[in-house]
Amino acid sequence: MNPFKILELEPRFDLDLDAAEHRHRELSRALHPDRFVGRPASERRLALSRAIEVNEAWRTLRDPVRRAEALLNLHGIDSGETSSAKADPELLMEMMEQREALAETRASKDLPRLRDLSATMRDRQARVLDALTKAFSHDPQTALPVLAELRYVRRFLEEASALEDELL
Amino acid sequence: MSLIDIFDPKAAPKPIGIDLGTTNSIVAYVVDGQPRCVADCDGDPRLPSVVHYGEHGQIIVGKEAIMLAPTHPRDTIASVKRFVGRGADDAETKLLGTYRFVASEDETDAKVIKMRVRDRIVNPVEVSAEILKQLKKNAEGVLRNVGGAVITVPAYFDDAQRQATKDAGRLAGLEVLRLLNEPTAAALAYGLDGNKNGTFAVYDLGGGTFDITILRLDDGVFQVRSTGGNSALGGDDMDRAMASVLLSEMGFDDPSERTPEIVRLAMDAARQTKHALTDQDVVDVELPAKGGATVCKRFTREAFDALIMPIVEQTGPACRRALRDAELTPEALDGVILVGGSTRIPAVRSFVQQMFGKEPLGNIDPDQVVALGAAVQADLLAGEGNADDVLLLDVLPLSLGIETMGGVAEKILPRNTTIPAGAKQTFTTYADNQTGFEIHVVQGERELASDCRSLARFTLRGIPPMPAGLARLEVTFHVDADGLLHVSAREIKTGIEQQVEVKPSYGLDEDQIEDMLLDALDHGEEDLAARRLAEQRVEAQRILMATRQGLDADGDLLNVVEHAHVLTAIDALEASLKADKVAPIESAVAHLDMLTKAWAGRRMDRAIAKAIGGKGVEDVARSVENAGGIEAHLGQQTEKG
Repeated sequence: MNPFKILELEPRFDLDLDAAEHRHRELSRALHPDRFVGRPASERRLALSRAIEVNEAWRTLRDPVRRAEALLNLHGIDSGETSSAKADPELLMEMMEQREALAETRASKDLPRLRDLSATMRDRQARVLDALTKAFSHDPQTALPVLAELRYVRRFLEEASALEDELL
Repeated sequence: MSLIDIFDPKAAPKPIGIDLGTTNSIVAYVVDGQPRCVADCDGDPRLPSVVHYGEHGQIIVGKEAIMLAPTHPRDTIASVKRFVGRGADDAETKLLGTYRFVASEDETDAKVIKMRVRDRIVNPVEVSAEILKQLKKNAEGVLRNVGGAVITVPAYFDDAQRQATKDAGRLAGLEVLRLLNEPTAAALAYGLDGNKNGTFAVYDLGGGTFDITILRLDDGVFQVRSTGGNSALGGDDMDRAMASVLLSEMGFDDPSERTPEIVRLAMDAARQTKHALTDQDVVDVELPAKGGATVCKRFTREAFDALIMPIVEQTGPACRRALRDAELTPEALDGVILVGGSTRIPAVRSFVQQMFGKEPLGNIDPDQVVALGAAVQADLLAGEGNADDVLLLDVLPLSLGIETMGGVAEKILPRNTTIPAGAKQTFTTYADNQTGFEIHVVQGERELASDCRSLARFTLRGIPPMPAGLARLEVTFHVDADGLLHVSAREIKTGIEQQVEVKPSYGLDEDQIEDMLLDALDHGEEDLAARRLAEQRVEAQRILMATRQGLDADGDLLNVVEHAHVLTAIDALEASLKADKVAPIESAVAHLDMLTKAWAGRRMDRAIAKAIGGKGVEDVARSVENAGGIEAHLGQQTEKG
């Protein structure tokens, strides 16, 4: 499934998310099951499958990791996590340190420190996203290591916000 | 009033919206474009969600049932919503302990709670159905003929609780058009009022449940961004906290000394005091003490606030998580909507104000707002309102997952996924010649499957014997617009497509529902057959109308031969309606359905092209022959933990 095609959008990483969301909304307006109440069964089934497809496409495109994977797929590049197993050792090292720092804030219940760590990582996420845009406009193959970094960053941020919940 | 035959089948059926609440339930409808609640003779729209089972089998619902509660605490069921879709062994089941729960015989039996009232045994679905029946009757008093119904559920209700609610609707003889999340309903009631765009939080603290929902309103599309809450937190907990203070004052510190009557008395006093403290600063309560004396307890607003604060604060983490899931800060919100009777409490209002940094909206009665929104949605679904203007895009409230090796729950659809949603997962066999495969579907956010809610456990059988790891089992999950899960599975490697349809249940299967329906009807099978025929007719009429409208709008998408076939099938369906039999109608409907299938695909393509503003029409147009049902359209799940 090509999510760009389903939403009739130009396949690019720096997608205009507002425009994509608008498209999702307009298609939902046409395809949502609520629009097919009282219609024959086959029509309802067809509309349901299209509505699911449209929702799934938007879910894929709004998430930068899944969006990058979809783009790589379009270029015939295997984007599975196993394919980027040859992760940069330097990056691995750095991420391990970051996660240790996270574990420390958990132990010390240090909320301000946690927020600092998250803020730094969010800045980094912004830089990684820029780098991904450049990679895709230049040579999609070069996007693979950047995508690996984005995965680490996103996972860190997820864990950090879960931890923030715990500490609050 | 009694001389008039209230139900009039010849009157045009009007859709209704129902807020089936823990403490009170309300039914509403739309008249002249405005939603309105059905009120009782005192002008109060609230029907207490209390059901009394009388000595001679009579069933009393509402205020009169409350009056009977002090003397018959075990035969009067209140707050049944707390038990809906829950198992007999769930921890929360034991909390409201005044009922006579029937011990379950085995594991299957334990999936549903049973309570003994008088000489019969009832389950929460049946008790809920009594409330719905009463609401339907009240609505018929005003509308004469009630059409389909939209019933609201807390956004946080899991699949089992939703399914149980829908079954209760069926049991009450209602055609359930849609289950609607309460906060979404509230937003709908507000949205039509102001027609504003923006992002809103709906803070819903009712009698027994708490919900927080963040949603965005854009040009009539309500898109839920995130939702969360606690399905066992609400005003009842405040009553219990106060009642326990009162019971101590009365000299009943030891729980074993408390009779159901005494507990009920303290709970009633607690509730009344809570209500009084909304407007007053001090309330004096008089209660009988142990030994016959009277105690007087003075409650100040401050003492009350201090007592309930721990309960109110429990809503905080869910609010923060919902904001985070929506990737929003409180400042980004355009408004906060209050829902539920407990939001009348000044301490709750100031908590909300502090939490979100803005004064909450409250110009629609927080008790009525959900029912009013449900009525609006019912009207839209019945095609009476201006359906082009408003659409709800709701989300899955809790992640869906499957148990993998080691008992870990692997998420297949994360919470806050827009519904309808679907996902596919491929499994393989782990032993040579393995012919069966067990799949366990769970719902919840916890890491281990055993900590999540178990929705369905089923075995795929008939896998052809082959070495381990060769068979490919493809399981398709889809969640419909009611938030209900459907699962199907097939073995694809060998080309043998074995399709299994699994509908997760909360413990009552289709036969049991049928039996309850038969019990509920005075003349059993005869009535059931008549009802099926009536339902089939209504369905056929609708399809006829939809097809005719389709011919007017998109008749040009049919060639001459197809057009003629459709017309013939329409005539045949009309003719079948004249006979008093279900089967001919069913087959005529199926025939028309088959003939219009290809056309439906073309119409959908046209609708899509129109929706995206005429761009890429040729690209969008897909061959109808390739449309192979839901499965064909689902993308392979690529996300891995």
